[in-house]
Amino acid sequence: MNISDLVSDDAAYVSRKAWTDQRVYELEKKGIFAKVWLFLGHESQIKKPGDFVQAYMCETPIILARGEDHKIYASINSCSHRGLPVCRADHGNTKRFLCPYHNWSYSVDGSLVAIPQEKLLTNKPDKSLLGLKAVPRVESWRGMIFGCLDESVESLESYLGDMRFYLDAFFERFDDGIEFIGAPHRWTINANWKLPMENQLGDVNHGPFLHSAVIPAEANEEIFSVGWSAVPEPGHGATFRLMPEGTEYAQVAWGMEGMGAILGGAEIQEYLFEIQAKAAERVGGIRSRMKGLTYGIYPNLSFLWSNTSFKVSHPRGPNKVEYWSWAVVPADAPNAIKKILRTNYSSFFGPGGILEQEDSEAWMQQYLGSNIDFADDKPYFYGLGLGEEKPHPDLPGMLSVTANEYYARAFFLRWRSALEAVNDCCDLITSTKQLSVDDL
Amino acid sequence: MISDIERQYAIEQFYYREARLLDGRQYQQWLSLVSESIRYVMPARVNALVNNRQRGEEAMIAIDNELEGSDGLGCPIREEGYAHLFVRVDRAYKMNSWADNPPARTRRIIGNVELLECGDESIRVRSNFHLFFSRPGSDNFIYSGQRNDQLLMIDGGFKIADREVIMDYANIDVPTLGLIF
Repeated sequence: MNISDLVSDDAAYVSRKAWTDQRVYELEKKGIFAKVWLFLGHESQIKKPGDFVQAYMCETPIILARGEDHKIYASINSCSHRGLPVCRADHGNTKRFLCPYHNWSYSVDGSLVAIPQEKLLTNKPDKSLLGLKAVPRVESWRGMIFGCLDESVESLESYLGDMRFYLDAFFERFDDGIEFIGAPHRWTINANWKLPMENQLGDVNHGPFLHSAVIPAEANEEIFSVGWSAVPEPGHGATFRLMPEGTEYAQVAWGMEGMGAILGGAEIQEYLFEIQAKAAERVGGIRSRMKGLTYGIYPNLSFLWSNTSFKVSHPRGPNKVEYWSWAVVPADAPNAIKKILRTNYSSFFGPGGILEQEDSEAWMQQYLGSNIDFADDKPYFYGLGLGEEKPHPDLPGMLSVTANEYYARAFFLRWRSALEAVNDCCDLITSTKQLSVDDL
Repeated sequence: MISDIERQYAIEQFYYREARLLDGRQYQQWLSLVSESIRYVMPARVNALVNNRQRGEEAMIAIDNELEGSDGLGCPIREEGYAHLFVRVDRAYKMNSWADNPPARTRRIIGNVELLECGDESIRVRSNFHLFFSRPGSDNFIYSGQRNDQLLMIDGGFKIADREVIMDYANIDVPTLGLIF
């Protein structure tokens, strides 16, 4: 089996090995995580000089910090001397990171400040060469900070492309944008990183089935009747309901679907209606009628509009994922409102969420199903709605009903190309010895 | 007037019964032990930056430094009321609550029951728990934590009016924190 055989040319079939094979995972690191923009954090988390949060680029730990010069820095959290992580807290504010082993110290921007041993030595090392490894490209858009390990990558805005149209339908509703509230909830699941991603990228099709114990049938009927799945660029995706013109605020306003809003009473509803009242002016008529479901940004960032959470699927080998999620609230909301709105997220999602316990179980079971023997000639079927996606006069990208799995086919074709591109040049699998069925 | 020992005994018996109902999957009966105005909170637990200015003091490594509870502007793992707990209980008896079909086997051990403050109508109690969790097709897990309760004394019995659950994880590697602790 070649890498190209992991996904059929029309992407109607995806191999079980795409989810489980260690060599495929190594190619994902080289071909995807080393080359594309990865989400690191939000500017609201590092407002003041010295503020920092931890992040990851695949398995590599990153310090994301606001320097004394107010600029944003991303450095690999590993001492230049012996490799220990120099930042040991999840977040905070500091002047220096201190390596515990020999007390080399670094400023939050990653430069090496002091080597305690050097005063005993004649030849002093050149500290300017010994800072933490910097992430070479760091850019923000709408407060969302991304980093890329490949210096030659296209701009972040170009990478996001028309996904910005769909993200702005949310971000631009709020006068002061959004804020990430609190530290991320982070937990490990025995699943492959791509499945949580696929789940948010466009798979609202599992909702009426996996979640039918909690999601009422009417909510699913709404998705069937006015739901759309958009693929603005292969690998990115957005699902939403486009409510008819004149829909009352209670049925269309962002935030009204969460437990916080449902139980929060008149005060919170009024607040959400005020945002909706300004929506058409701020994001335009068609986007003001968008009631979002789930979004995905290649390769591993996702957004739940209805329960307002950003999530990152950090790989930890082919068989494990460290899943991070944050509650997101309007930045200018009063504190009392923020506290209610964060429960829109935590009631249903995150490690204690009523819905997410079903998801994480399904993701674990999918890994078990992918890792069995004697079934490699039965790749997974990804062909629902093959060829039925079309352009739309008012919405960018390819559009379809939510039952169409085009979002996943587009993701896996991009994924396949990315792996093929590095397979040509890497020594893991040479051109004379491609992966064979026996190898896999 | 009952003695401190009698009160301690009564509360321990209440907790044992509660654990038996939960392990026996009698969640509807468990819900009858809960006040309808209950606040059920599980703070998030972070790996906090140690404050150098507090060195030498207990405050430097106080557990509170690690918690994002419901009063602050962090994001607790759970902040629930009766409605949330009702949904959880309701879900348990549906065919399509797939993560619990078939259901997990659990065993709760409650200990270190400490009465902190006894009023005429309510009592603040701290207790510890270990919960063994075994789900079909998965590994087995141990949950460990502490509960800070406010119990109301009603008709000679108790109702849980407030419960804060402090989990002992550094990294969450259990299938769900959505259980009833």
